[in-house]
Amino acid sequence: MPIEVGLIEPHIPGLRRFACALLRGDRERADDLVQDCLERALSRWHLRRGAGDPRGWLYTILYNRFLTEQHRQKRRGAHDELTEATKSELLVVKGGQDEALEHRDLLRAFAALPEEQRSVLALIGVEDLSYDEAARVLGVPIGTIMSRLSRGRERLRQLMSSDVKAPARTSRSAK
Amino acid sequence: MSPVAGPVEEHELNAHFDRQLPPDRAAAVAAYLAARPEAQARLRQYGQQQQTLRAAITAQSAGPIPGRLRVPRLAAVQRRRRSWRLAAAAVAVMLFVLGGVGGWAARDADIGLASFPHGGAASAAARTTTAAAIEAYRVYSVEARHPVEVAAAQEAHLVQWLSKRLGRPLIVPDLGAVGFRLMGGRLLPGADGPAAQLMYENAKGARLTCYYQAVGFDGETAFRYREAKGVGAFYWSDDGFGYAITARVGRALLLKIAEIMYRQIDDAGNKSRPPPPPGKAS
Repeated sequence: MPIEVGLIEPHIPGLRRFACALLRGDRERADDLVQDCLERALSRWHLRRGAGDPRGWLYTILYNRFLTEQHRQKRRGAHDELTEATKSELLVVKGGQDEALEHRDLLRAFAALPEEQRSVLALIGVEDLSYDEAARVLGVPIGTIMSRLSRGRERLRQLMSSDVKAPARTSRSAK
Repeated sequence: MSPVAGPVEEHELNAHFDRQLPPDRAAAVAAYLAARPEAQARLRQYGQQQQTLRAAITAQSAGPIPGRLRVPRLAAVQRRRRSWRLAAAAVAVMLFVLGGVGGWAARDADIGLASFPHGGAASAAARTTTAAAIEAYRVYSVEARHPVEVAAAQEAHLVQWLSKRLGRPLIVPDLGAVGFRLMGGRLLPGADGPAAQLMYENAKGARLTCYYQAVGFDGETAFRYREAKGVGAFYWSDDGFGYAITARVGRALLLKIAEIMYRQIDDAGNKSRPPPPPGKAS
């Protein structure tokens, strides 16, 4: 088995999570994106810089493929159907009833964030990348990462507390 | 490290939360938080929120890895494709040789047949784009005074402008290795929307053009050669662009140049990204 196979495989769950975050839980399209990313990574393995863990490189490829796809769809006049994505989230949430509801609420709020905030929250909050690594994956300065992260977290918190969670709101206004 | 004074900003609270705060600000942020229980509560909420998000996205994306995402299988498919493409290239070279020896009709004929994934659309795009590139070459390469619309001196502007009009980042190849330098480029009406032509010249005054046309499919096709009225063109497509490299030089040299250009674009393709959507902040 070629060496790249063993180095790429452990990152598939992470790539699927990141793709799901970018595509608001549309699993079919998320797996298309991951497949596209893996094919590209294999065909360009020789162009990779450095011999270490390809994790950041793989996330970068995935994100670039995501942008290319978004751009193409925009040109063709297609657009993201948030409602569709939300519907598919409802279908895929598993687990106990309370937990499932909590997940569903949060995923719905998360899906309402702009892409630039979702990608940063996913890379830092879910994938555990450092600010520096996230800046390289997304191709923006580290300051931009930090401001998108602050805005994204706060927006998500507000969306969640304006939902049905009155206690969160009271604690916010408490002195 | 000695502490740095100054007001604590929102992104520093986040950096504290993520344990990525520079040590020289730790004291300031700790003091800020100690005096503000509401900020502490907010960070705690961020923590819960992040934990839930992690669990929710993990649950959402989990499940057995489908066959199409199995890396060994994908790698095997690519190896087969690569060897098939090499075989196709060998056949194309053999046909060139036969064409040269027998005077056989290589002229005005598509020779490289290896366009596997897209069939009809790819063939049609190859034909129309190559014909348009050859025609554009014949019209503009003879221009003494106005060979280009925007000169190489304004290369950054040229690239930005043409990328914007074609809707994809355009890579300008460096053909210095074969003695050609960029003169500039122009926007042209193509068979399917706007097209771009970059013009190069060597020390002897021979001219060469790289022609770009956005095409409606993504995969790669192999090189195709076409010759009309003494002008030769190699065409291929990759990643949504059809490329035609066109000149009055021998096939062998043109093939070499096409390979250089292909490699540079392929290399850049991995790093480049499409222009950000309009109105995107920061």
